[in-house]
Amino acid sequence: MYSMITFDHIHLAFDGRKILNDLSFEVKRGEKVVVLAKSGSGKSSLFSLILGFLEPDEGRVFFDGWLVDEKSVWEIRKKIAYIDQDISLGNGKIPDLLDFVLKLKTNIHLDGSRKQLQELLQYFELDKEIIKKDIEDLSGGERQRLAIIIAVLLQRDVFLLDEVTSALDKQLKKKVADFFIAREDWTCLVISHDPVWLENPAVKIFKLEEGKWKP
Amino acid sequence: METVDLSLVSLLLTFLLLALPVILSLKFGFGLIRSLFYSVARMTIQLILIGIFLKYLFLWNNAWINLLWLLVMITVAVFSAVRSSAIKIGKVFIPGFLSFTIATFVVIFYLNIVVIPLDNIFDARYLIVLGGMLLGNSLRGNIVGISTFYKNIRKDAKKYLYVLSLGASQSEALLPYLRESVQLALKPTLAAMATMGIVALPGMMTGVILGGASPEVAIKYQIMIMIAIVVSTITSVVLTILLTLRVCFNRYGVLRREVFVELKNKSNGS
Repeated sequence: MYSMITFDHIHLAFDGRKILNDLSFEVKRGEKVVVLAKSGSGKSSLFSLILGFLEPDEGRVFFDGWLVDEKSVWEIRKKIAYIDQDISLGNGKIPDLLDFVLKLKTNIHLDGSRKQLQELLQYFELDKEIIKKDIEDLSGGERQRLAIIIAVLLQRDVFLLDEVTSALDKQLKKKVADFFIAREDWTCLVISHDPVWLENPAVKIFKLEEGKWKP
Repeated sequence: METVDLSLVSLLLTFLLLALPVILSLKFGFGLIRSLFYSVARMTIQLILIGIFLKYLFLWNNAWINLLWLLVMITVAVFSAVRSSAIKIGKVFIPGFLSFTIATFVVIFYLNIVVIPLDNIFDARYLIVLGGMLLGNSLRGNIVGISTFYKNIRKDAKKYLYVLSLGASQSEALLPYLRESVQLALKPTLAAMATMGIVALPGMMTGVILGGASPEVAIKYQIMIMIAIVVSTITSVVLTILLTLRVCFNRYGVLRREVFVELKNKSNGS
């Protein structure tokens, strides 16, 4: 199977503290991989390295065969849907946010996907009226679901999901996990402690400890 | 009509007016007396020195010296504007200096060559005086503009990265911040223009009238200078922000923390 994300002997340190220590792994196309680690162990920096928000001190990261560097990263970002654990959607009205996202040059062809929005709202059990609200009036769970919906609307097939179900109830957590796991062509790298991910037999689990994989 | 000169005694009598704020401060405990006298003393000393300096500048009226002085003024303005933004001055001095110089020179020489027009376009009375008015105002705009721009991006760091992750180009990701900071930078100038003449007689007009010119001449100069101020402010704010981007962001589009004074850690260290 084709390798979608490859970490090749990555070293990363912050303020002299080693975060990733000669880390190598790959995520193949269509795989669902969950990274399990304690907080502060550098798991979010895995995503930052793929998206070019951080540069490794040593080693290389590849995405879909491309070396992540200052040139390729702009194209790579267009192929990934990323949801951050704090989901920083900013303030303002939800329609303005959707407008902003869907009118970015790279997404402009997706304008038709607004129809899909209604289906997604329904699937993730959000009221239709919610999109008239201000972002700051949303609960944590509503924000998480909105971020997931935006990520899905982008019609990308690689998902970086950082604790995206933490604020949801058990039934919704499962619904979200099942939604991503069911799509065979989607590659998902997930950071989560949630059993809904970890107990799913289709998911591969990587355990990160002291900057290395633990069996 | 000649301006009535102020004797030393008259000037001292002006200071007597300060008794009023002193009494008010004592009575209501504003705690302003120290800073009032500090500021008045600084203003007086600075103006006396600049008065002496300008006297010679006008006397020599040498093109090179005038240009050099304008560049000194620009340098000081850049330092003040950058200081407010928490960016290390060494990193952005050159882009800041270029922006202020381009914005000021284009406007000033347009006025001196095309609008007025002067026989000697380097004449100190115009070059230095107009330069001072333009720089003073674009400095105010830049202090607001640059600091708002970088402060908001730092405050919104996560959202900004989220927008990049959506596949936005750097200009798409930065445009909302540029818009907001330019609007904010221009706000005081636009507000002042909208009430000009009704709420307040602007300083330049007052000066020209006191200097013996007719109100008609004063008004024409005031209109000219206000338009020049708006143009040079917006140009220098936009240029400063655009030219500092290369220094303040890396080629991945991520803000370089090491460019700022107090933030040294890498971002996203979780």
